Amino acid sequence: MRLPQGRLRKSRVVTDPREPLAEVLDRTVTGYAVFEAQDSLLLDADGRGVVTFEDGVPVVAYHTGTDRGGPPALADLAVPGPYHVSVFELDAADLDPVHEVEALRVPPGMPAERLAGDPALADSTRRAAPGERPTVPGADGEGDHSAVEAFLEDEDKIAAIREQARQEARQRAAEWGLNDT
Amino acid sequence: MVEVFAVASGKGGTGKTTSTVALGMALAERYDVTVVDADTGMANLLFHAGLSDAETTLHDVLAESAAVEAATYDRFGMTVVPCGTSLDGFRDADPARLREVVATLAADTDVILLDSPPALDSRAAVLPVVMADRAVVVLQPTIPAISDGLKVQEYATSYGTDVAGILFNKVREDGIERVAEKTERYFDGPTLGAVPESERAREARRAGRPLLAHAPGCDAAAAYRRAADSLTVRDGASGDVADRFRSAVIPEPP
Ligand SMILES: Nc1ncnc2c1ncn2[C@@H]1O[C@H](COP(=O)(O)OP(=O)(O)O)[C@@H](O)[C@H]1O
Ligand SMILES: [Mg+2]
Repeated sequence: MRLPQGRLRKSRVVTDPREPLAEVLDRTVTGYAVFEAQDSLLLDADGRGVVTFEDGVPVVAYHTGTDRGGPPALADLAVPGPYHVSVFELDAADLDPVHEVEALRVPPGMPAERLAGDPALADSTRRAAPGERPTVPGADGEGDHSAVEAFLEDEDKIAAIREQARQEARQRAAEWGLNDT
Repeated sequence: MVEVFAVASGKGGTGKTTSTVALGMALAERYDVTVVDADTGMANLLFHAGLSDAETTLHDVLAESAAVEAATYDRFGMTVVPCGTSLDGFRDADPARLREVVATLAADTDVILLDSPPALDSRAAVLPVVMADRAVVVLQPTIPAISDGLKVQEYATSYGTDVAGILFNKVREDGIERVAEKTERYFDGPTLGAVPESERAREARRAGRPLLAHAPGCDAAAAYRRAADSLTVRDGASGDVADRFRSAVIPEPP
């Protein structure tokens, strides 16, 4: 996926992808956001996830590490956090060629619902979506679980998440003076 | 016989309290059930069980200013141990005493459900999961909720607590079966159920009643009953039950 360089609006580290999604919607940004995992422990950490927006509403998703687009790209960019996120503005006309690629498209509410786990934000994103896009859960793939399923199919990533949690649990048990006698 | 379950999830709002009370009511048809609000920092079980004006709560017990019996209430066929919501109550409560409380309750009930805090970031927050025999992990069909649920499982198993199963809640769309099947592969317990998002659940909370009392005929209530039915309560070694919890890991007060 190729996009012209946009105008950098904001760049920072967040613990949760919800924040940039909410902010982009709030400010009706047309452009794209680049998500980069901060945690090198996890796989795909070298790749970057890109989500484009029209008036704050997500249109396509792509991951540079896995070269996948659409809902699986949302799964690829998902990490337990934190993320480095940069938001760029771009004219709608510059986004058009990419937005026409059906395979890259994600339903408007999917990033908020499945990646950020925020149904309320997903609902307001759907309400903000233009009429021609599916806005009702269940309609035209909007409600589908494909991003979650793609995440669950990534056995290596899940193994890494579990291993990281295991180490953290053990380390904290020691700090907290817990032992499993 | 007693088995202690922690109803847990990595974060708030997934429906732990709703699920604790619903599973408790459903299990109460077969067992003597006690539900405890072990989320002592952000207690809200009292609001789900019509106990918002309870005089004595778990806070008082944990502050050693009341006996456990004074904080137990018979409601909806269960024994309910609510927790107070005041900051003072929280400050004076010693979370480590929860072990004693569970040990006392364990002498006289079949099933204890611990409504657990939404985090794993302190001794007090992990204590219910540490003490439980098994955990019921409440999930929503989203990437962060499942990641957090996996984390809960790793903490639980690291502390010797098994996973009784996973319970999807607030399910809004079709196709949860495939998600459940794929999720199950990573969890040590089966999928107990998938509870639909339901206006009845929100109404019940506003009415201060358990979902199974407020709308027993709704789909969500039916899903909770099926989940409870699929939960096989194990016979604990009842003789040394109290000792089991007293000798569990000993966290110090914060
Ligand atoms: N299946 C459901 N459908 C709709 N709303 C629900 C459902 N389960 C829980 N809720 C609502 O979600 C909110 C959070 O639920 P709660 O059980 O308090 O979560 P937690 O204890 O995990 O923080 C409450 O307002 C509750 O009424
Ligand atoms: Mg709760």
